[in-house]
Amino acid sequence: MRSTFMGLETNKRGLYTQQSALYTTGHNISNANTDGYSRQRVNMQATAGYPGVGLNSGTMPGFIGTGVEAGSIQRIRDSFVDHQFRQEANKLGYWESRSQAISQMEDVLNEPSHYGLQKSLSQFWQSLQDLAVNPENAGARAVAIQNGVAVAESFNYIHKSLTEIQTNLGTEINVSTKDINSLLQQIAELNRQITQVEPNGYMPNDLYDARDVLLDELSMYIPIEIAYEKSGGRALAIAEGSVTVTLKLDEGDPVTLVAGNHSATLTTQPTSLIDEDKNNRPITGIHIAGIAGEDSTIQHSDLLDVGKMKSLMNSYGVAEEEGATGLYPNMLTELNRMAAAFANQINAIHMNGTDLNGNQGGYFFDVKVNGESFTAANIMVDAALENNTSLLAASDSAPGNPEEGNGKNAQRLADAQSRPLDSLGGSTIETFYQSVIGELGVEGLQVEKLKTNTGTLLGAVEHRRASISSVSLDEEMTDMIKFQQAYNASARMITVIDETLDKIINGMGIVGR
Amino acid sequence: MRVTQSMLSNNMLRNLSASYNKMGKLQDQLTTGKKVNRPSDDPVTVMKGMNFRKQVDKVAQFQRNLGEVNNWLDSSDDALDHVGSALHRANELMLNAANGTLTQQDRESILAEIKELRKTVQDLSNTKVGDKYIFSGTKTGTPLFGEDGYPKNDNTDLDNPIEILTGFTNSVEIEVFDGVMLTVNTNGIDMFKNIDEMFQDIEDAIESTNPSEIQGFIQATQEQLDVVLMARANIGARQNRVEMMEHRLTAQEGIAKKQMSENEDIEYEEVITEMITEESIHRAALAIGARIIQPSLVDFLR
Repeated sequence: MRSTFMGLETNKRGLYTQQSALYTTGHNISNANTDGYSRQRVNMQATAGYPGVGLNSGTMPGFIGTGVEAGSIQRIRDSFVDHQFRQEANKLGYWESRSQAISQMEDVLNEPSHYGLQKSLSQFWQSLQDLAVNPENAGARAVAIQNGVAVAESFNYIHKSLTEIQTNLGTEINVSTKDINSLLQQIAELNRQITQVEPNGYMPNDLYDARDVLLDELSMYIPIEIAYEKSGGRALAIAEGSVTVTLKLDEGDPVTLVAGNHSATLTTQPTSLIDEDKNNRPITGIHIAGIAGEDSTIQHSDLLDVGKMKSLMNSYGVAEEEGATGLYPNMLTELNRMAAAFANQINAIHMNGTDLNGNQGGYFFDVKVNGESFTAANIMVDAALENNTSLLAASDSAPGNPEEGNGKNAQRLADAQSRPLDSLGGSTIETFYQSVIGELGVEGLQVEKLKTNTGTLLGAVEHRRASISSVSLDEEMTDMIKFQQAYNASARMITVIDETLDKIINGMGIVGR
Repeated sequence: MRVTQSMLSNNMLRNLSASYNKMGKLQDQLTTGKKVNRPSDDPVTVMKGMNFRKQVDKVAQFQRNLGEVNNWLDSSDDALDHVGSALHRANELMLNAANGTLTQQDRESILAEIKELRKTVQDLSNTKVGDKYIFSGTKTGTPLFGEDGYPKNDNTDLDNPIEILTGFTNSVEIEVFDGVMLTVNTNGIDMFKNIDEMFQDIEDAIESTNPSEIQGFIQATQEQLDVVLMARANIGARQNRVEMMEHRLTAQEGIAKKQMSENEDIEYEEVITEMITEESIHRAALAIGARIIQPSLVDFLR
């Protein structure tokens, strides 16, 4: 036999359930602009009917529904799109960082412009021409020497600036490593909270969201693979469980970064990227202090070519057998090569000439520490020459026989502009520099394109994800009306039942009264 | 596809920032007047640009060198013109003197004038352009006619017996085109020396009052005059070459500058039109955004 008050109970459930749906709508609206928030939905389900099914249940005709309950509150999300998003984020992280590194390099080299190395070289050649025309003129001599100083300083400046950016890239690698470690820890902590809540039958949707945001962020840095492990106890079937994060590698087994509430710790190899002399040390790889106490060292070459971390390493410079390679080390090598070829060439010609006093020419360019070979960092005009313009060997006269109006050696120096050099693979100084700039430009253009493309792709995936998970106010408003009306209707039902009860209680058994 | 407010506003933001980006690039182009401002804008244009710049700089330098060449040649020619006049006058005087009917006074005044002419030529041999003695070979800091007269190869300097003269006989060359050197000085030491010796002989002859000897100087002055004329003809020929070079360089300059401009300069009309188009797109994006974002169901519910 059904209970007298069963209708009240049924509709009370209706009230409660619609109320939860309304509150969830409110939660959605409140979080319409929250980053990483996915809209939530109350999964309503009808409660078991009356009478329940069983051997000893009473028999009666009919099977009366007992109302509704909120089975679960689920966030609307598509794990496939998440997967795609992280894949693209990986690539964008790589190209964005590379594009930035290249663009900083372009800023330093500052070509084409009136202030770049090419301009100072050009001015140097011009002043040598002027010197060839006016070799006896102290002004022309001073200008030629000062323009030599300007060239040396341009080399020094570019070298210093590029090295500074390289150091910054090293710092960025350190900061990124710390970021990654922090993300791993936070994910592990969320795993812990989630696995505590789920066995009680709850759906910690907001914790899931927070964890997904962290996973998205992590995938900008490194390529990851994720898997889920169900919680025990009374965990709902749709509960996500604890996430396991592994680092995907090109070679070798993937390394687990997060499992349950444990996380690994990454450090760069070498740990300090700057040595005692404040030079940048090329990076060799990453050391991972593993979860179960097992350590592993990942070589740079084993890391996949995706993610900001690898990109930073490639820009900063990685240790190879033949020395450091990478965007910055390579450019520095090219500039050193060019500075050495330039200085040696000028020196060779200059030392073949005769100065204003009839002495054989000395060094034009001198390295700071004698015996070292020339690099873009140490090239400088010989101090004695800089202080005494008469030491400039502009003449080709025989030693001991000064000829102030003889500019033939200055002419030879000026002609070095168009002399192909073996040490530059048969290019002149200027064509070599042009090709260096050209290569940088081509790579810059390509990287910019790749960055834009992956950016667009990521945008498209983000759009798709938003189309699934983001909050639509119109939709929430519609739902609000829907749930409000259902709530009202349930309340009205209670009034109806109240009236029927009133009939029983106050209207019955008063025959003849 | 389900579309939500946040998607629309994100879209709008993306569109706006894209059009700001484009306008920024156009603005860069308009303010610099250049299509490219960094190598990655267009590597080929940048590389070509660097090359054209080099060419333009080089042409400018050669033009500057040419100015100096003209300076040398014009001054040399002018100086030799004066030397010629002096010789011409000497020739006239010799014709006069050979007449045989000269008084002592006449002879003295001729001698005085010859001495003056000799000095004039000596001064002319020390002609300077700026700081340079142009007839001193590559020893441009030393006057050709010094305190000891013209430099002699007298072998008194035992350490340096022969080379004492080489500086004075060296030629001064200036580059006027890739690898094209032009000799700008006139090697004057022998010419001036011979003229000077001739004047010395004339003075001696007048003082010894031997008319038959003086007769010979009519021929001698004429010969020296021919030498000077030949030197001037040589200068004239070089001036012709310089003129040709000037034309060539001017043409080169025009070509290089035009190529450089075509390579990297913007077409103002084009970029401004693009800018205006971009601006109207931006305005449209703003206007549409403002319209689309505003109304939602919220605005129509009680």
